[in-house]
Amino acid sequence: MICIIALIVFGILGIFSVKYRIIAKEAFNCVFKKITLRKCDTGLDIRLKSQISGSFLKFSPRLGRIAYKYFEVFSWIFLILTLVTLYFMGLGLYNYAVYGNCNGPQGGFCIYDPLGTTKPVNTTTEGSICAIPGHSIGAVLTAPKNITITDGAYIGNPQAGVVIIEYGCYSCHYTKLAEPTVKRLIKKYGDNILYIYKDFPLRGTHETAEPATEAAHCALDQGRYWEYREYLFANQQRQFDEDLKGYAKDLGLNDTQFSECLNSGKYKSLVEQTYSEGIALGITVTPTFFINNQSLVGAKDYSEFKKIINKELGISWWEFWK
Amino acid sequence: MNVLKVREDFPILKNGLNGKPIIYFDNACMTLRPRQVIEKMNEYYYNYPACAGRSHHKLSKMATEEFSKSRSIIRKFINAKSDKEIIFTKNTTEGINLVAKSFKFHKGDVIISTDKEHNSNLIPWQLVARQQGLRRERISTKEGFDLQHFEHVLKHAKSNSNRSFVSMVQTSNMDGTSIPLKEIVNIARKYDAVVMLDAAQGVPHKSVDVKKLDVDFLAFSGHKMLGPSGTGVLYGREELLNRLDPFITGGSTVDDTTYDGATFTQLPERYEAGLQDYAGFIGLGAAVEYLKKYIDDIHVHELKLNKIITEGLNTHVNILGPQDPKLRSGIFSFNAKNKMDHHEVALLLDSYANIMIRSGRHCVHSWFNDNKIDGSARASFYLYNTEEEAKIFVEKTKEILKMK
Ligand SMILES: Cc1ncc(COP(=O)(O)O)c(C=O)c1O
Repeated sequence: MICIIALIVFGILGIFSVKYRIIAKEAFNCVFKKITLRKCDTGLDIRLKSQISGSFLKFSPRLGRIAYKYFEVFSWIFLILTLVTLYFMGLGLYNYAVYGNCNGPQGGFCIYDPLGTTKPVNTTTEGSICAIPGHSIGAVLTAPKNITITDGAYIGNPQAGVVIIEYGCYSCHYTKLAEPTVKRLIKKYGDNILYIYKDFPLRGTHETAEPATEAAHCALDQGRYWEYREYLFANQQRQFDEDLKGYAKDLGLNDTQFSECLNSGKYKSLVEQTYSEGIALGITVTPTFFINNQSLVGAKDYSEFKKIINKELGISWWEFWK
Repeated sequence: MNVLKVREDFPILKNGLNGKPIIYFDNACMTLRPRQVIEKMNEYYYNYPACAGRSHHKLSKMATEEFSKSRSIIRKFINAKSDKEIIFTKNTTEGINLVAKSFKFHKGDVIISTDKEHNSNLIPWQLVARQQGLRRERISTKEGFDLQHFEHVLKHAKSNSNRSFVSMVQTSNMDGTSIPLKEIVNIARKYDAVVMLDAAQGVPHKSVDVKKLDVDFLAFSGHKMLGPSGTGVLYGREELLNRLDPFITGGSTVDDTTYDGATFTQLPERYEAGLQDYAGFIGLGAAVEYLKKYIDDIHVHELKLNKIITEGLNTHVNILGPQDPKLRSGIFSFNAKNKMDHHEVALLLDSYANIMIRSGRHCVHSWFNDNKIDGSARASFYLYNTEEEAKIFVEKTKEILKMK
């Protein structure tokens, strides 16, 4: 039994050092002999057993005796543990290669991260969205044909081959949850992409959705959109008019101009128009993303975006590692 | 002999292994080396690292001088008649092979050995006997050396006008027993037999006088007597050595050659083909110089240690060979009564207590096979081992045996 463990452990170490390769070879010989019901004649099993129980004996005679007596039992336990560990290691690596995260599409257990800190937020879309009342996901989406950047905020290269459009709502918890991913994408891909944010205030769901959306436009007027957006998401629980104006002041915007903009309903119709366009595309929930012609609904994991973008950009994953 | 003072000379005993003291009980396999030997070898490499006996420059002269000085030291140590009788070899094994392959046998000659021969004194004879049609006889040592059978074999050979060649292990590396040399030689002389000793465990532990013993050949290893690794000596009576066929031939073994022939040179160079391990043999001289001071005390010292260990462990283990430690020189070969595997015992002693012993069949497979024993654990002592170490060995072995 111990030989199988030795084979695995020293086999892996043997990749790096000849010293261990020799032991791995012996272990292999041993395992092979045992499988064919012969005696392991390199004595590796006895050597390991003596080495290990001898070390325990140094601590206490009792420990040594237990290690010696139940060596086969311990070996079995360790073998099983090793195999289980190896299985999860392999699974994690496989998931990483295929899905870009170690948890896999179902967000399963990841051995490299037992506490689950890298686990993507519920990627089963259901529940990672805000919806127009009475709707949920599942609607047929049409990718927008004429891409306009005149109706709101965008960042990146207007000539880029990959266009990411996000239909979001500043009052929606899941739009907020998608923010780190959005930021990461912008940072990572820079001029290789064009990111456009489109208004889709869920007015039936969030009371403050519309004013918040308009306020964002007012901040854009003053060239302070991205800071304001961040502030909006950070203070998602309070987005009434007074709050919205207060945030502008906090950020040092021209508050008279901002109040005027908001009070006058300057962007009401633009927001309405964008919203209707969204409805026409079949959107019912936020956040809804389009990456060129592909849609991604809900606060999905970064890796899913990455996969689609890389494909659109024609980057294979190993090239991307560089 | 002041053991503590002796220990001072052995770097590994002074420094330990990774700073931890070791108990080295594998002396039958190889002994440790004192600093005097190591320094002597370095002296060669530092000061006169040249070939001896061939070139005529200063370095070569220095090397030649030290090399032949070493030979004389060894000659005196075993009291051989002349330096010509001292042939440097790699080890005991080579010495025995030299004689086995080069001695001029006749078909029907009888090779007589004991039932406890080291592979080195077994296999060469198996081959030579097969190739040259010799007979082999084995003398049992089970109830002590069977002198009667021995004499019978010799007598029988002589009556058939066949010659006898006795090649025996002086002291067994497996159980430490020695053969009754005096009686054996006396009988052998009576029937004109040639006598060779595998003295690998003899010369290092007891003073050996080849003239007094009256043996014809004697092989031993330097590395079992404080000397450098891969050095050995074959002693041979000059007139017999002169009658051997060449063994390994080439450089140094001839006086002159033509395209079709060679005139072999005199002893001992005739059997020392090619350039030699000069550092090794010069180091061996230093080892013998060192050993000489203590040789008369070593055997008694080893018996004392063997007694402590035998008395401490005889209720826990089965001892190979006689119970009486006085009959087992510096060797304590054993198997646990509770059937703990001998390899396990040895490995546990090593990993738990830094005690180094050997386990297995000690190159005497034939005896183990015949006796249906798997092997044994073996502790073997030397001049630098202490009574304290023997006591620790007893104690630690008991602890380990308790694990089962
Ligand atoms: C009795 C005996 N004969 C022969 C040998 C062989 O010695 P070497 O390996 O130095 O040739 C040994 C060493 O193990 C021995 O103990």
